[in-house]
Amino acid sequence: MQLTQLTFDVKDAIAYVGFGKYEKKSMTTLSRDAMEELRQIVTEIGVREKKKELKGVIFFSHKPGVFLAGVDVNLINSMKSEAEAARGAEQGQFLYNMIEDLRIPTAAVVDGVCLGGGLELSLSCDRIYASDNPKTALGLPEVMLGVLPGFGGTYRLPKKVGLPNALDMILTGRQVKGKAAFKMGLVEALLPTERMLELVPALLVKPVPSKKGGFEKTLERVATENFLTRKIVFQKAREKVLEQSKGFYPAPLKILEVLEAGAGKGRDAYLAMEAQAFGDLSQTVVSKNLQHLFFLTDKSKKLDNKEELPTVKRGGVLGAGVMGGGIAWLFANSDQAPIMKDLNQAALELGLKQASGNFASALRKRRMSEDDFNRKMRSITPTTSFEGFKGIDLVVEAVVENMDVKKKVFAELETKVRPDCLLTSNTSSLSVTEMASALQDSSRFAGLHFFNPVNKMPLVEIIAHPGASQQTLQTLYKWALDVKKTPVIVNDGPGFLVNRILAPYLNEAAYLLEAGISIADIDQAALNFGMPMGPCRLMDEVGLDVCEKVGKIMQQGLGVRALANPLSHKLTQTGALGRKNNKGFYLYDEKGKVIGKNPEVEALLPSKSISMDETQLQMRLFLPMVNEAAYCLTDKIIDKAATVDMGMIYGTGFPPFKGGLLSWADTEGADRMLAMMQQFAAEISPERYAPAPLLVELAQSRRKFYDL
Amino acid sequence: MKPVYLVEGKRTPQVKSGADLQDVAAPYLAHYLIRHLADKHGIPSDAVDEVIIGNTGTPAKYPNVGRVIALEAGLDKKTSGYTVHRNCAAGMEALSQGFIKIASGRSDIIFAGGAESMSQMPLLFSKKMTALFVDLMKAKSGMQKLALLSHFRPDYLKPIIAIEQGLTDPFCGLNMGLTAEKLARELGISRQEQDEFANRSHQRAVAAQKEGRFAEEILAITMGAKLDKVLAEDVGPRANSTVEGLGKMKPYFEKGTGTVTVGNACPITDGGSVWLMCSEEAVKKYNLKPMARMVDYHFHGLEPERMGLGPVLATAGVLKRTGLTLDQMDLVELNEAFAAQVIACQRVMKDKTLAAKWGLEDAIGEISADKLNVNGGGIALGHPVGSTGSRLVVTLAHELRRRKKKYGLATLCIGGGQGGATIIENLQN
Repeated sequence: MQLTQLTFDVKDAIAYVGFGKYEKKSMTTLSRDAMEELRQIVTEIGVREKKKELKGVIFFSHKPGVFLAGVDVNLINSMKSEAEAARGAEQGQFLYNMIEDLRIPTAAVVDGVCLGGGLELSLSCDRIYASDNPKTALGLPEVMLGVLPGFGGTYRLPKKVGLPNALDMILTGRQVKGKAAFKMGLVEALLPTERMLELVPALLVKPVPSKKGGFEKTLERVATENFLTRKIVFQKAREKVLEQSKGFYPAPLKILEVLEAGAGKGRDAYLAMEAQAFGDLSQTVVSKNLQHLFFLTDKSKKLDNKEELPTVKRGGVLGAGVMGGGIAWLFANSDQAPIMKDLNQAALELGLKQASGNFASALRKRRMSEDDFNRKMRSITPTTSFEGFKGIDLVVEAVVENMDVKKKVFAELETKVRPDCLLTSNTSSLSVTEMASALQDSSRFAGLHFFNPVNKMPLVEIIAHPGASQQTLQTLYKWALDVKKTPVIVNDGPGFLVNRILAPYLNEAAYLLEAGISIADIDQAALNFGMPMGPCRLMDEVGLDVCEKVGKIMQQGLGVRALANPLSHKLTQTGALGRKNNKGFYLYDEKGKVIGKNPEVEALLPSKSISMDETQLQMRLFLPMVNEAAYCLTDKIIDKAATVDMGMIYGTGFPPFKGGLLSWADTEGADRMLAMMQQFAAEISPERYAPAPLLVELAQSRRKFYDL
Repeated sequence: MKPVYLVEGKRTPQVKSGADLQDVAAPYLAHYLIRHLADKHGIPSDAVDEVIIGNTGTPAKYPNVGRVIALEAGLDKKTSGYTVHRNCAAGMEALSQGFIKIASGRSDIIFAGGAESMSQMPLLFSKKMTALFVDLMKAKSGMQKLALLSHFRPDYLKPIIAIEQGLTDPFCGLNMGLTAEKLARELGISRQEQDEFANRSHQRAVAAQKEGRFAEEILAITMGAKLDKVLAEDVGPRANSTVEGLGKMKPYFEKGTGTVTVGNACPITDGGSVWLMCSEEAVKKYNLKPMARMVDYHFHGLEPERMGLGPVLATAGVLKRTGLTLDQMDLVELNEAFAAQVIACQRVMKDKTLAAKWGLEDAIGEISADKLNVNGGGIALGHPVGSTGSRLVVTLAHELRRRKKKYGLATLCIGGGQGGATIIENLQN
């Protein structure tokens, strides 16, 4: 047998099938070739089994920390039709059935990541042994790609761990760590990582101990394995799925359908259903978009010269407000013991409160120990002086949004740090290029724009300026990945990338309100589009004063197409600032929950509300975003459509199932977008809806944003 | 001997136990001071030879708190760290060990100091209760356990207060307060004198706070249940303190007839302090500007029941060793464990007959009030036992620098019958 992907050895009548030996990437996945080699190996094992040459089979990985990260997503992505995809699933199922049907004992010896097709393979073995490595995690994340586990995962997992556990894992894609996997019966035993391969052969030839699982487990089985309770379990699961997916994601519902309809069916009949469902789902627009997003995200995590770049070990924060405190939290949580500086004790305590609040939920849910909380919080040094800044590798400035103040701060800061310390500004609206002029050496300076709240929003915009060095930008990129953020590098310009594209969306909402469309209708239209919250609700979150300021900056920087609606100004005049003072478009209680509409706002709006077709309403909101994104490409804020989509999804929660703003635009078609822009330009505003030249060009040449 | 430099010393604010800092475990009363000093002076985390921390409470969770502090401070894992215990002078003991190691050329960079959370000193189970627990754990059957439990008596639960035991001398059986009473009695120190001294400690500390004289030596600490509060000043000095007010307090240790009250004694306190100590080579390598040079130190024993006079003998010892005189000391920090004990030291130091009684050839000299504890002392600022020995040197060095003076003496009495003294020379004029 000529093997280039897997290894196959027999020792003491035990067959060893090894993954990952020839894998160059950090994660081993099952490629088409690997699947074929696996088929050959399992066939060979079958032959030798018949000759009574083998006592058992062990599947393991040569790569520490990775068993199998699943089937290569490229393979799923290459399936061109439902039938082809279903056939692909059937082939995998057939192979895994062969493993299951071996009469000699089989075991998967799992150290590290074991996901998707990797876990499905493990499930087809008699037993799974997991290492005590903290990296060991098992899961079926297919739902996140808009599909379902198609190699028998939905068939075998419920048998192993019971219906409720299986539903939870398959519907959410949640990964379970070794200990939890052992508790739910997914793995036979937890073994010491270094010795597991020595120990398993002896364990393998012993019969599987009968599972008692205690009274609780028996009760659970009795409860979930009868017709009536199953029906209730599925009903509850369906309700939860609809609540969480808002009906935008077909996969979870399909999964429930397969599991429910498959009850009591034999293996072959069940698996045929599973393969069919996999085929169907794999070709949905949602799945294609989620796969697209997977590739974008995966690619964004790669940095070729990572090893050559300096590593940030210690952080510093200037300004201990909501953002400063949040950034201090990020440093502290990543063990980069920050120094947080502000002018006085009261300000510092605000920052500490923010950081402490960010840890609170992890502490409450016991995902963090009291000791770790103490250690991490106490790793933040609150100070009013620059003493100690020599120890710092990266400073993020988050003081008041005022160019003169920031310039002064940077001019002073530069004299207080080492020459190789990176200096960044968390400005959301000021020119990074102008700010750079305050520094003697601006090559180590860049914008570093976080989104609020820092602990929840994955995106970080790294803003370049003409004097910034490549090393600075790349080191910041590497750091952002290290602290588990999603970075995008963008060029300087009003609002950078995300806020610039978001601004016309919020601005247009104000124009719609002025025209008499209700707050509820506007927000609902956005929600139905898939946004996590409507524009009015979002303006409250951002702060109406901030919206007013940003609106002005956009108008100044971008001209008539960004003509700011005066509504946010009028609102701030009434004292409504949004969530920060519990009064914006909506009224909020102390916990930030919406308790009603703000009557003072309604008084400012037309008394007679008019209704508008929802699709029309959505186009009014989202078209100007696409148009501005086109300008961002022309103005070289970013160099490709993918960056816009990453930014909008991770920075604003733009619906992932739409693949991002420009993926959505490409799906709709530039010609259609252009036609509507022209129509709105004629009917509503020739300035705000003037089509971007790039959009016109794409429409005329019948090209897509992703073709650029 | 090679010269030993005290590059910079910092301390926490000091707070009476059971108050603002009660939730701060001992390691966190020093780790941030080290991190700050390393950052400020550009000392790489892997360049430190040793961390030496004085601590007397020995928290059950951190038996070697010095090593824990080294790790929590973010120093390289290869940095050795240990804890020293010489009762009230544990912090000075840490400095003395740093001194020897650098002076002998063995080490170049050492963090030395002390950390004490007296709030977190434990309550212990009685011997009988502990024995019962042990037997219960050994018992195999439920019946055996029941039988054992029947031996239980409620008085088994009476706790032993570790701190109370720790403050009682096991050799002479006297509580520390009673050793002060003994000195007051034998040397004729009146209640009025003690209260006046205590009051002056508060007045001086309050004045120092008002003028921001502690600002450079204190590094603000994070506190509170949610760790979202900052404390930057000592909690203890009372602006409204009066001799009359102090005079109304009842004697605490010798009820009825005594003179030592909680008002003219130091309170039980939480706090920490750390020095960055360096050799000449390290000073050059990292381009440091040390605050001071540690000239020498001395420890000396005496009868435990008169432990309060320890500073007399320790001072005599360090002066003899260095060839300096008490007159040459521009400032003196003599720890105020008890007002009576400080006054006693002053008396014995200047009186030839008394000095001879404790084996000295001659009187050492007089410490005038304008040199002694100029920013108040332990009575107002508190006495976190493991830290005070180095805290005195921190305060002393900062005040010498402010006054542009040369020599300073830090000395303190040590429970168990010892005294410790350190002389430093200010290098920043």
